[in-house]
Amino acid sequence: MDENVIKVENLVKYFDGRCVLDGINLKVPRGCIYGLLGRNGSGKTTIIRILLGLEPPTRGQTFLLDAASTELSAKLHGRIGYVAEGHNLIQNYRVGRLIKLCKDLSLRWNDEFFNHLIETFRLPADRKVKELSIGMRAQLNLALAMAIDPELLIFDDPTLGLDTVARRQFLELAIDLIQQQGRTILFCSHILSDVERIADKIGILAAGKLVVDCPLEELKERVKKLRVIFPESAPPNLHLTEIINQQNQGREMVITVANWNKQKQTALEIFKPSSCTEIPMSLEDMFIECTKPNPEYVES
Amino acid sequence: MYALIKREIQDHIVYFIGAAAFSAVFIIISISLIHRYNPKEPPVFSIGLGVPAVTIVIFGICAMGATQMYLDRTRKISALLSTLAVSRSRILLARIITGILAILILLVPQTIAAGILVRVFTPHIPMFPGMVFEISVVVFLMAFACYCIGLQTGWNSSALTPSLGALFLTCIFIPLILIKGFGVHIVVILVLFIVASLLRTWHTFMTTSL
Repeated sequence: MDENVIKVENLVKYFDGRCVLDGINLKVPRGCIYGLLGRNGSGKTTIIRILLGLEPPTRGQTFLLDAASTELSAKLHGRIGYVAEGHNLIQNYRVGRLIKLCKDLSLRWNDEFFNHLIETFRLPADRKVKELSIGMRAQLNLALAMAIDPELLIFDDPTLGLDTVARRQFLELAIDLIQQQGRTILFCSHILSDVERIADKIGILAAGKLVVDCPLEELKERVKKLRVIFPESAPPNLHLTEIINQQNQGREMVITVANWNKQKQTALEIFKPSSCTEIPMSLEDMFIECTKPNPEYVES
Repeated sequence: MYALIKREIQDHIVYFIGAAAFSAVFIIISISLIHRYNPKEPPVFSIGLGVPAVTIVIFGICAMGATQMYLDRTRKISALLSTLAVSRSRILLARIITGILAILILLVPQTIAAGILVRVFTPHIPMFPGMVFEISVVVFLMAFACYCIGLQTGWNSSALTPSLGALFLTCIFIPLILIKGFGVHIVVILVLFIVASLLRTWHTFMTTSL
């Protein structure tokens, strides 16, 4: 059995002649929490839909739990929990009816856990799904995905529309799941602090390519933001490779560099800077830097 | 599978009620007309009743298939179901079984009633053994063919062209039966049409984005 629960090989997807995904390669090992990030329209949801067999790829192959996405059996689907962006639930159903349908169509159903979630979220069973607020729909979708005790969880912006308390509850639930061995989570979100809190591997999509694919700690090690002060005006070009971003202002230069190492440090010292200090970067800062044009330096 | 069929029936219960009501009304009208007129007279009333009845059946069944697929597409029902422990083929199979059930609810009572009426009242045309059954099979196949057209029409995003196509194909069936009669030829034509239509629907549903 392959240790990678999710595998994406040379995935290409075109929509109406527009390239959305351009040769994506991705592997998520068992037990990993993978945070897939990208700006709106970068192709995160498309990757997830192709993985789940909801969308055909233009080229390339994707695998979930050792099976090709295009040939996922009902049994394999039963081992995957999915929270869709926008929470694609059947809008004209009452909550109770939708729950019963999902329960009837599931291989496993953890009643105790599900009821605990429903009580925690205070979801009304007698109301129609379309009458629920976006936050409540998110909670319902989340509870339905969790109730099947999934081996693999795919969250496509699951906390979208949730208030702060519900978001915190969700993250605590996710952390509970992480503590249960063997669970793998693919997590897409725009709330980077959430991803930073739970993910142990990060992928960043930009311009159809996976520009970052490495463990979070490694990313923090590899991408450095430096404030360099020169005795006179800052040189326009440092002749360093893999500069993600550079801003000059008088004597001061702020640069973001990928794969910072001793050689690059030596190359910088040729310009005899007065001082060179590292500016701490959050995941959000790294995300902003990496999704700027030309960020092809961080991919492992 | 049972849960999927149950869901389809609940979501399209109006068609099942409609089929049962239509069947009941048709039987009542047939009995009352047979009582009122001499069945040995030329079959004016049976043509006057039969043609509009068959037309309603055809369009009703076609509408059911189209509604099932259209609502699935617009409400993204299969998109949700196929993320559960269900395959696309089962979703479609459950849908087709539901369609067949609706057709049977519509036709079985009428077939039984026709069988009894033929025995009770001597019809004006010579009957051979199994004629009622043979006619019922052809009507069933015709209804199922129209249902298949409906399935294809409902899944298509541009509504006008396939709807007109469905209307055209549906209108062909009635004259076809009038020309070919209720024999083996029409059964073969209808079965071939149904197989081709189902294969097309199956392929579209299995490969399309949900």
